[in-house]
Amino acid sequence: MTVFALAIGAALAVTCVVFVGLPFLREPDPAEDRLDEPGALERRALELAEDRDRALAALKELEFDHRTGKISDDDYRELVGPLRARVAEALRALEPQAESTEERVHAAS
Amino acid sequence: MARTGSPVRLVIALSVAAVLAIFLLYVSVTGGTPSIQPSQLHGRTGDVALVGKVTGSPAGDAQAGGLRFRMRDVSGASASIPVVYRGSVPDLFKVGREVRVEGRLRNGVFVAKKDSLRTKCPSKYVAKRT
Amino acid sequence: MPELGRAALALCLGLALYALVAGAYAASTRRRRLARSAQNALLAAFASAGVASIVLLGALLRNDFSFTYVADHTSRELPTPYTISAFWGGQEGSLLLWLLILTGFSAAAVALSRRSAPDLLPWVVPILGLVATFFAFMLVVVSSPFDTQVAPADGAGLNPSLQNPYMMIHPPCLYLGYVGLTIPFAFAMGALLSRRTDELWIVATRRWTLFAWTALGIGQLLGSHWAYVEVGWGGYYAWDPVENAALMPWLAATAFLHSVMIQEKRGMLKLWNMLLVVLAFCLALFGTFLTRSGVISSIHSFTQSPLGGWFLGFIVLITVGSLALILTRLPRDPRGPRMESLVSREATFLYNNLLLVALCLTILWGVVFPLLSEAVHGEQITVSSPYYNFFLRVFGIPLLLLMGIGPLVAWRRASLRSLGRSFAWPAGIALAVGIVLLLLGAGSSWIGLLAYTFCAFVLGSIGYEFVRGTRARRALTNGNWLASFAELIGRNRRRYGGYIVHAAIVLLAIGIVGSSAYDTVRERTLAPGQTMAISHYAVTYDRLVRRNGPNANEFRAVLDVKKKGRNLGTLESGKNFYRAEQQSSNEVGIRSDPLTGEDLYVITDQINPNGTIAFKILVKPLVNLIWLSGLIFLIGSLVVLWPNAAEQRRLALRYRELRPLARA
Repeated sequence: MTVFALAIGAALAVTCVVFVGLPFLREPDPAEDRLDEPGALERRALELAEDRDRALAALKELEFDHRTGKISDDDYRELVGPLRARVAEALRALEPQAESTEERVHAAS
Repeated sequence: MARTGSPVRLVIALSVAAVLAIFLLYVSVTGGTPSIQPSQLHGRTGDVALVGKVTGSPAGDAQAGGLRFRMRDVSGASASIPVVYRGSVPDLFKVGREVRVEGRLRNGVFVAKKDSLRTKCPSKYVAKRT
Repeated sequence: MPELGRAALALCLGLALYALVAGAYAASTRRRRLARSAQNALLAAFASAGVASIVLLGALLRNDFSFTYVADHTSRELPTPYTISAFWGGQEGSLLLWLLILTGFSAAAVALSRRSAPDLLPWVVPILGLVATFFAFMLVVVSSPFDTQVAPADGAGLNPSLQNPYMMIHPPCLYLGYVGLTIPFAFAMGALLSRRTDELWIVATRRWTLFAWTALGIGQLLGSHWAYVEVGWGGYYAWDPVENAALMPWLAATAFLHSVMIQEKRGMLKLWNMLLVVLAFCLALFGTFLTRSGVISSIHSFTQSPLGGWFLGFIVLITVGSLALILTRLPRDPRGPRMESLVSREATFLYNNLLLVALCLTILWGVVFPLLSEAVHGEQITVSSPYYNFFLRVFGIPLLLLMGIGPLVAWRRASLRSLGRSFAWPAGIALAVGIVLLLLGAGSSWIGLLAYTFCAFVLGSIGYEFVRGTRARRALTNGNWLASFAELIGRNRRRYGGYIVHAAIVLLAIGIVGSSAYDTVRERTLAPGQTMAISHYAVTYDRLVRRNGPNANEFRAVLDVKKKGRNLGTLESGKNFYRAEQQSSNEVGIRSDPLTGEDLYVITDQINPNGTIAFKILVKPLVNLIWLSGLIFLIGSLVVLWPNAAEQRRLALRYRELRPLARA
């Protein structure tokens, strides 16, 4: 029993250590070892993307609520304008952002 | 469109919280029952919850005249006090088991409130050394 | 074999520690390979915990009594299913189950989040590693399941009242819940540490939170059901600290599930959500701590163990650490969105949150009060059911009302006119139901009547929502009602799944109100042949039967039950006397009415030597709705949990469209 246990234990330990060291074993000498992190520009872009998605979802929900009758026609007319404007604004804000990111990437490579 | 300013909301929230806290304090202080052991019972006249170990030989009928048994402190030797109880007797009740019963001391005998006897489940999480 | 178990646990500890230290270092110095290595360490920790678990399970199945743990919790004659459940029946084993589930969930979270939340992962790993390190440390140093002894001939066996299918599933179910709350906590801390305090951590962990919350809810229902049928005092919840230990994190998680919706839709309440997730996790740890140490006298109290101090220390560390992180890393946004109206869905969610958290903290106060009073006065003062029931009513009934109002109100703002229109039907139904119930005699408890009326309101509003939605869907697609109904739910799983869950909670409320506000209790001592009337039943004690079971002498009183003259058959109620353990247990007789959900509940209090039996009989109306609600709750949760391919794609797309060449 004990030899068996020892064998399994050793196998487990070896496997785990190898697995943990795998990233280093696979790339002993990588070109770069940096963890990607969104830079300030990319953070802004992500923020804008979230704004856009949130505005789109709110618009979709408004339409749904109107169709099911939760929001009256008057309320809908009042709310849909500003929401559509928000969506348009969010989409617009993302466009120049994408451009400058691309420019930056092209400049870097 | 009225601007729901944060200061107003904060004040409301804090005052509600304060009222609740005071109420909580009041309710728990007046509504609670002190849990004491038999050795601390001496001289107390109010309603308490008595926690201790069953000792002696229980006799009597809890459904009829009353079950009479004695209780002592959980740990450490101490004098036991007599208890008379009416009501449901939990399954796990036996001599040596830790129990909790509510009531008050009257003429040297602890008169328990009906149906207030509780036993502690034998420890599930600690090894039973048999 | 025990050496293998010990070695596997030690290995697990080392790996968890590595994940913590290396992961934190990699995240702060931005090293890619090291971060990946730390992730792998978490996966490897799961493997090690798995091996340790297999060793323990093997020992249990082999009846290897050289393992102290096996000898203490099983015996040769114990049926196999209970031998398996003895794995988590004791302190050491339950900690190992915790660790196994924790490392398993961590591994899954890491694997699943690689694409949807890569920004958070580097810091999430060390947090998960921290929690895993704690539990592994407990298992290696303080409380090991692999202690050995000279094997006795037979083991101590399992407490008979725990030999019950419910007690098999109840602990693992609760653990899935407790441990599951670690994931949103880790992601929240990861978000703070990565300075990605937007909604990413919430979206990435939404299903984890939902899963954990569902598991906690079902686990508690299972425990309550066990208490009802097995412990047999006529109730299902005694506000015992150990029971409250599971309720508190569930309440906090319920509040959290609602308030994150506000953050997702409006970007508000960031601080509140952070605090809530920390509260939920700390309460889960606290709950685990409560059931391990005998710190608070309770019926389920387990004796003092050294574990208590360690747990408390860890909880303090987590609380202080997370609060510090929140204070220093959460950006203050003064220009943030404002709540536009006190009559909007956001507002109702906020009120719901306040009520839920208030109830949770009230229960917490009741649980720790004995400790505080002991510190101040020198003796423990305990509060019991009256205190808890009072606050359950004070907070629960408004919560019921809010559950009905919420669905009818739109986000941002609702004009009073459209509100009035939406309210008309549900309010009308509620009023009608209230009047009917009053006429039927429900006025005996005005709280019960109020609760029932609110329940009718909620069900009315949910029904109204489904009808409105299906009608709108049908208008769009011109399909039939059934197809439109299915499509409606399929396309709006979160909303309508949520409604199903609300309906389940309402059923739960109805069951609780019915069985507590409108129950009947009667005690009589009967001789054979005598009859006792209770509510609309007539119960006749026929005879006493004795059976010798494999490990107990079973005494059963056979009773004839008649309802309004109609014969309903026989019911058995009695006691078992367990020979080996020298202990008796109550075996209650329950007759459930399939139509009304009512239970006739017979307790054999005492078998007298003169042949008479003292019975305590209860009639509990609608109590079976409680168990039914569990089923509906599960269905609703499944609907909400169902993976949404479109949503996953959208999340992954966000990264891809913004960093096209970064992953090259």
